[in-house]
Amino acid sequence: MAQSAPRGRSPVTRVSVTILLVVAIGGTLWVPIYARSMPKLGDFPFFYWYQLIWLPVVAILCWLCYVLLKAKPTPDARPRHGRGVRK
Amino acid sequence: MSHVNAVAFTILVVSFLAVTLIGFAAARWRPAEDPMQLNEWGLGGRGFGTFVSWFLLGGDLYTAYTFIAVPALVYAVGAAGFYALSYTIVVWPIVFVFAPRLWSAARAHGYVTLAEFARGRHGSQGLGLAVALTGILATMPYIALQLVGIESVLTVMGIGARTGNAFVRDLPLIIAFIILAAYTYLAGLRAPALIAFVKDTLIYVTVIVAIIYIPTRLGGWGHIFGAASAHLKTVNPTTGKPYGSLVVTPSGEWAYATLALGSALALFMYPHAATGVFAARRRDVIRRNAALMPAYSLVLGLIALFGYMARATPAVNAGVQAGGGNSQLSVPLLFEHMFPSWFAGIGYSAIVIGALVPAAIMSIAAANLFTRSIYTEFFNPTATPAQETRVARLASLIMKVGALAFALQLNKTFSINLQLLGGIWILQTFPAIVISLYKTWFHRFALITGWASGMVYGTIQAYRTPGGGQAHFGASTAPVFGHLTYIAITALVVNLVVAVVLTLIFHAIRLPNGYDVTRPAHYSADPVDGPAARAGAPGA
Repeated sequence: MAQSAPRGRSPVTRVSVTILLVVAIGGTLWVPIYARSMPKLGDFPFFYWYQLIWLPVVAILCWLCYVLLKAKPTPDARPRHGRGVRK
Repeated sequence: MSHVNAVAFTILVVSFLAVTLIGFAAARWRPAEDPMQLNEWGLGGRGFGTFVSWFLLGGDLYTAYTFIAVPALVYAVGAAGFYALSYTIVVWPIVFVFAPRLWSAARAHGYVTLAEFARGRHGSQGLGLAVALTGILATMPYIALQLVGIESVLTVMGIGARTGNAFVRDLPLIIAFIILAAYTYLAGLRAPALIAFVKDTLIYVTVIVAIIYIPTRLGGWGHIFGAASAHLKTVNPTTGKPYGSLVVTPSGEWAYATLALGSALALFMYPHAATGVFAARRRDVIRRNAALMPAYSLVLGLIALFGYMARATPAVNAGVQAGGGNSQLSVPLLFEHMFPSWFAGIGYSAIVIGALVPAAIMSIAAANLFTRSIYTEFFNPTATPAQETRVARLASLIMKVGALAFALQLNKTFSINLQLLGGIWILQTFPAIVISLYKTWFHRFALITGWASGMVYGTIQAYRTPGGGQAHFGASTAPVFGHLTYIAITALVVNLVVAVVLTLIFHAIRLPNGYDVTRPAHYSADPVDGPAARAGAPGA
């Protein structure tokens, strides 16, 4: 996944998108972070509420990346550029 | 579970009939200028925006596995079953990264399946065939798993349970499947896409009510976790170890992470997931949905907790025991004992329709694979779009009959084990698809040999793994250097090592590589107008 950042964007956008996505992927893959029962939230052990809270976090991170990638389109990333795409 | 509950049964039948009407009516939804194009039957005209795609992907990817198998696993082993939540969290950022490129390449070339992409990118018929066969092979047990999910609902409702006649017992399932096959044949992807709205509504209503209402009847979450923890600590007499744990133990962390990662990487290699991606109207639809789909993963997380609710309900434990220790019955039993019968009927409908939608999309996707990568590629290279559509429709029927025979003939543990194998197999197409989206460095023959090595290694390793009282195909994880690892991941490593080494050798001896029909610009293409017809597929 080293190639995650798309071409044709500013380096700042590419780096931020990569970092955000790495955080989103790593947050629940790195199990030792949350394989514990304390602190509890209500009656929920940490293991459960951490993962459930991570869902909206991933949604927000993906949305941020979407907005970042959409905000600064450079000419070569626009549609109608692909060779032979239009009839 | 001795008698049929009339109220719940009536609600299930009414929902099924409503969905059937929608399925047939879907043929006239967003009508196509020329319905005899594979783009139309097999991808719903590639015209689904963010809203429809959200329902379609949700209806497609969250299957009986989500509603029956995951809570059953949590019911049986506790925290280890929650890898499914981690998996459905991790999958969306991964999809965000590669799926837009895949969509663009497929749109630029009129591809309907992943196998066509692998073939076009590497100029290799063999690689396309390998990807197509793997997809069809892995999809069959996945459809069968949907039937097993429907069966568990019917069993709990007591339908056909008392008769010894196999045909009478399976009749409801056979009828449901014939009707499903009929409207899929007629309307193609439009049918499950439209029914997905009903499915998702039923699922959301059931899950929200269950997660609020059931804990109040069971004495709160403290009691639910307490009862689950007490069970998981007791020692399993067959293994001499505790049944499981409420939090993943340090020795289980590696298995948990590799299961989550392996499943996430494998998900979009499945033909039905690719169909969901290719059916999107615009490139942006996929990125937006990567941010919106976690709402569905939240539902999966809550459904996984049903496993603990079931454990905290003595009547469910008794029912599972009576059913021969089949923990797949735990969620339907939970509904039966916790809900008034009319709402149990809604819950059952959610599970049954929730299994029918993916089954329909899977059979369409497998039919697309057969048509494009086997029929057109090897038997009729000059097939017209109308011929392709006819072949795909027939193939979807054959896929369903095959899966039905599968589900009825083989015992349930076996179909779940084959589903496990399906995950191992399908991940072996990852290098030929996802890595190839970025690089063409790999040699086509190296990719094929790597794929074959991964398939053979994964199958043998799964065969050699005992578990659950069985000598073979007992578990999806096996020790690697002392760490329990998801076999699919180990097989993928074997696959990649073989592919890298052989590519170096083949490049060194200058073995001719295939011709890549794609161009860099195709991977960011985002055409506004409708898809090109097959005959005029541009860019090739």
